[in-house]
Amino acid sequence: MDILKFALRKLIGGIPLILGVTFIAFLLMVYFGPDLTYEKLGKNPTAQEIVDIRHELGYDQPFIKRYGNYLKQLITLDFGNAEIRDAKVSTILKETMPVSLHLIIPGFILGNILAIALALLAAYHRGSWVDKFIMTSSVVGMSISFLIVIIVFQLVFSSSFGLNLFPVRGWEVYDADKNIIWGQYFMYVAVPTMATVFVALGYNTRFYRAVLVEEMTKDHVRTAKAFGHKPASLLFKGVLKNAMVPITTRIMFSIPLVVVSGSLLIESYFGIPGVGKVTFDAIIAGDQNILKAIVGLTAVLFVVVLMFTDILYRVFDPRVELK
Amino acid sequence: MSTEVIDFSKMEKGDSLWDKAWYKFKRDSMGKTGAIIVLVYFIIALGVWFGLWGTAWSDTSDLLQADPSWQHLIGTNQIGQDVFTRVIYSTKVAFEVGLVVAVFSTILGAILGSVSGYFSGTWIDSIILWFMGVLDSIPFYLFVAAVAFALKENPFAMHIAMISTFWTGTARVIRGEVIKLKGQEFVEAARSIGVRENKIIFKHIMPNTSHILLVQGTIAFVAAIKSEVILSFLGMGVKDGVSWGLMISESTQDIQAGHFNNFIASSVFLFVLVIAFNMFSDSMQDALDPKKVS
Repeated sequence: MDILKFALRKLIGGIPLILGVTFIAFLLMVYFGPDLTYEKLGKNPTAQEIVDIRHELGYDQPFIKRYGNYLKQLITLDFGNAEIRDAKVSTILKETMPVSLHLIIPGFILGNILAIALALLAAYHRGSWVDKFIMTSSVVGMSISFLIVIIVFQLVFSSSFGLNLFPVRGWEVYDADKNIIWGQYFMYVAVPTMATVFVALGYNTRFYRAVLVEEMTKDHVRTAKAFGHKPASLLFKGVLKNAMVPITTRIMFSIPLVVVSGSLLIESYFGIPGVGKVTFDAIIAGDQNILKAIVGLTAVLFVVVLMFTDILYRVFDPRVELK
Repeated sequence: MSTEVIDFSKMEKGDSLWDKAWYKFKRDSMGKTGAIIVLVYFIIALGVWFGLWGTAWSDTSDLLQADPSWQHLIGTNQIGQDVFTRVIYSTKVAFEVGLVVAVFSTILGAILGSVSGYFSGTWIDSIILWFMGVLDSIPFYLFVAAVAFALKENPFAMHIAMISTFWTGTARVIRGEVIKLKGQEFVEAARSIGVRENKIIFKHIMPNTSHILLVQGTIAFVAAIKSEVILSFLGMGVKDGVSWGLMISESTQDIQAGHFNNFIASSVFLFVLVIAFNMFSDSMQDALDPKKVS
């Protein structure tokens, strides 16, 4: 019951954030954004047609009312029709969301778990060659642009110049009933996942190692060591569990941005029809309805993630109170 | 801003943070290597700026997709432009983006972070924190696109978008540091003799965060260069001229035909600068952090 109340309070507390994000997005993209009147009209429009279109687009209404309409769209999840495709925005998002999730999840999980494992290894052997090797590799990893990693991985794994193991681009992983074919899925998801993990490892390992090292230099770890605890229990119970608060923060906060930003480059490069690809197409075409929907939904996702993060703090650190 | 700190170091030779940092930095071979490489890039960029080299970046010739030779050190691209000249010219573009974004986002982060930290717990702090939260919650590419929409294809839309999102990271770090500093005796002393609040914030507290600002500036510089490449590739970054991102974008066509000149040249130049800057930034962080555990 406490948790429910807490969650509700957090969600209400997130309203200013949602209002801020939607307001800035609306101001920049729609209010100061491109005037779509003449794109929608044919040649030689009459004055009446111009007035009609402007009315349809809502240009004749005051700012507050137009912004209010956007908020209403966000609450009802009905963002009107898209321009880039002949469909409703909500339908497009419903179709593309699973694609993006299928694409991102393996890389996201592997990228974090491998990074924590490497960080534990480096922190445990702090100062030795193992540590130095892992840390140097992670600096190298984070210095290579994501774009270059994608291009090189595609070249090495999917082209006739390299190993030619996986399909070059596309996403043919669903059968006629929209069920996933796991063998195909593996083939198409492999190269994007490798690229994501490669880039994520550089940043994540460094961050996690710093967190773990700070925890390791604390008194309780020294005491445990003096009492002769085994390295494994020392690392997992003494260090990792106590470092879970900053680690969860990082993982949770990256979720909303990974869903859009992370997949935008990968999806447009590999031609995968997910949310990132739709966002990119909408940006290029200036499709305001889709962009408004994505910005608004990302803000909502942020508030929800913020709420779950606070609840998770409590799980990892019982001293944290749900207030 | 930093003059005060330097004067202070002259007074107490061998004891200040900056002296110690310089001493530590001199012994860090990774950091020194990084700094020298960055300097070389900077000289290349300056040379382009003054028109000493890289001026013929848009000249075409009849030699299409040529292999490296003495005339064309890294060969030519699909319309016969010299890849080496283009990659050199792009160094200037990268430095322009990096410096503009690093300087302005650090200044903005310093000012808003200091104000928010000094007034922590009040409504001023809440508003700044809310604003940072808002900016951090907008997906970066969408924000760049939104700014580009609003500024109607202004060539600096990308710079402005990066500045308006990158400062929040600096501001958060500075805010934390200022909250620590404002409880110290020198601030109390200044307040008790009636120094005005804005003077306390900007003349007494902010100079004490300059070592953090320096590190944050290098981080913003690297982030800006890396973002420029991806944004230009997606068609949302540099519009006219040439940059490493545009070269990589051109090269995706060449790669499929087996021509790698353009791609290798631009990605190697980008990679070396970024890794050198990261090495330099890391060693500066180590040198300037008195409590560093590594």
